[in-house]
Amino acid sequence: MLAYTFKRLIQGVITVWFIATATFFAMHAVPGDPLANERATTEAIRKNLEARYGLDRPVTEQYVLFLGNMMRGDFGISFTQENRRVNDIIRESFPVSATLGILAVAFAAFGGVVWGALTAIYRNRLPDLVITFLVILGISVPGFVVAALGQLALVDINAWLGFSLLPIAGWGSIRHMIVPSMVLGLGTMAYLTRLMRSSMLEITNSDFIRTARAKGLPPTRIFLKHQLRNAILPVITVLGPSIAAITTGGFVVELVFAIPGLGRSFVQSVQQLDYTVIMGTTVFYGAFLVFMVIVVDLLYGLIDPRVRLE
Amino acid sequence: MTASAANPVAPVLDVKDLHVEFDTYGGIVKAVRGVSFDVHAGKTLAIVGESGCGKSVTVQSIMGLIPMPPGRITRGTAMLDGVDIVQQKIVNGRDIRGNRVGMIFQDPMSALNPTMRVGDQIAETLQVHRGYSKRQAFDRAVEVLTLANIPEADKRARQYPFAFSGGMLQRAMIAIAIACEPAVLIADEPTTALDVTIQAQILDLLKDLQRRNGMAIVLITHDLGVVARMADDVSVMYAGEIVETGSVDDVFYRAAHPYTLGLKAAMPSSTTPKDQGLRPIEGTPPDLFAPPDGCGYFARCPHAMRVCGPSHPPNVEVDPRHNALCWLHHPDAPRTVSELHRRVQA
Repeated sequence: MLAYTFKRLIQGVITVWFIATATFFAMHAVPGDPLANERATTEAIRKNLEARYGLDRPVTEQYVLFLGNMMRGDFGISFTQENRRVNDIIRESFPVSATLGILAVAFAAFGGVVWGALTAIYRNRLPDLVITFLVILGISVPGFVVAALGQLALVDINAWLGFSLLPIAGWGSIRHMIVPSMVLGLGTMAYLTRLMRSSMLEITNSDFIRTARAKGLPPTRIFLKHQLRNAILPVITVLGPSIAAITTGGFVVELVFAIPGLGRSFVQSVQQLDYTVIMGTTVFYGAFLVFMVIVVDLLYGLIDPRVRLE
Repeated sequence: MTASAANPVAPVLDVKDLHVEFDTYGGIVKAVRGVSFDVHAGKTLAIVGESGCGKSVTVQSIMGLIPMPPGRITRGTAMLDGVDIVQQKIVNGRDIRGNRVGMIFQDPMSALNPTMRVGDQIAETLQVHRGYSKRQAFDRAVEVLTLANIPEADKRARQYPFAFSGGMLQRAMIAIAIACEPAVLIADEPTTALDVTIQAQILDLLKDLQRRNGMAIVLITHDLGVVARMADDVSVMYAGEIVETGSVDDVFYRAAHPYTLGLKAAMPSSTTPKDQGLRPIEGTPPDLFAPPDGCGYFARCPHAMRVCGPSHPPNVEVDPRHNALCWLHHPDAPRTVSELHRRVQA
């Protein structure tokens, strides 16, 4: 198990290095640079700035410098946000994104398992059809539409009630987090519901469920101890990538609900070609994604004993 | 207490006129059409027949394991110690399944929950039926595994099914089935998925356990070798009906139904000359969407008469406790049974 964990971590480091390298050269291949945006710079000022940020050196040299700094955990200073260190930006805004992401994942996983199990139990009957309809809606409607509609609905509800049930935007209290995390988790929840449904149906017809019934176990026990545990395995498999996707993919929701998360910095940095912030956030997100996948793979072994041996 | 305890002659399990149907997209399949059999404590009844003849559906419907719908028991009774478990639907109650009637299945590799320790899967039954505590049930599970000839049972009980071989898993399944000392054990092709040496061990284990606790065994198989080794009585099923029933000797040496004779003739033996090929029964079983009015075996029967097509054959008692569903035994039939035997053996 320890050797396996170690192996996965080494693989993870290589993956992150690859992400960093690919992003670095892709970023430099884009026309323009962080200074091209600057108001009326004279040639001399531009030269000075380039020298200060090291942009006057060859790309390969810059790359080596960047790698060296990255190893020390230093991503440098932002080009556009005056004198803010990239590490500080991540440190301040990532906890916000992570909180939102974790809530969204919890919502998606819980909802996916419950709805998926329900659709399987009521297969081809009314509850199944209703939930399946909503699931298809959840998968097909893009996140920014759901976000806008969610916000609009919130406005209407608050107006109708005459007081603010939940705030429509901003960040701070738990009440701010409810609607954005639901919106953010919706697509994943819909996807997990489908997965859970097919997984449940497959398990229902399996031999060991027949054995459990032949043993005379009560239906609730069969459901909880035999069916659910086995049906949940594929859901856990996709949970790792889902966590990363949700946490890193939240920038639309962050923008709509005016949440000061990392997603916003990430998108802005790309638009402004803010080299250091692009590299910092990409490497950070990449490492986070890789790490979550490893964590979930290790977690999988806790539920399925067959995986533990490897 | 129970009827069988009061009257040792009464069978433990007595199934009468069982009919089972399934709704399918193609129509209604009449899978079981009036099956009757009984089995006594300490005895083994083998139900034999080819694939799709309704063997498994018969026993699974008695156990309430067929999905309903689309499955449906339209008629019949199954008395367990004098109480009907089919019509009263009490088979779904915990008291019967896993407690009074145990069941083992064909493929042990997939019959156990892969994410649960083997010992826990046995203990579960005891917790539910006997109200044992977790600890108590697990200790008893280890004992039962030992009874099922699993070496190092206390270590094995803590392992998961993937760590077991096929034969070991079938032993574990048997341990689950006998944990509550059932009156009847239903074994649905218990050795079909296992290799021959393991088969013999499993059959010996079943016999041994039967001697120990006097349970009745209903053994479903299509292997006549297994029947000869295990059974006291045999019921031969064909197209959803029992066509012949009797003691092993009756059915093997004095077969009274042309289908049984066909099965025996099809079985190669060590004395069969090398140059003689296998002798299969020509044709296929009838379509159970529309079972024939007359004899189900009519189309394949080498001894068929005109009456066999339109009229359902009578159930004739050819010897005491030896019945055959065949017109050949009717007093007006031109051919006698002995003549039949000569023809088949020639």
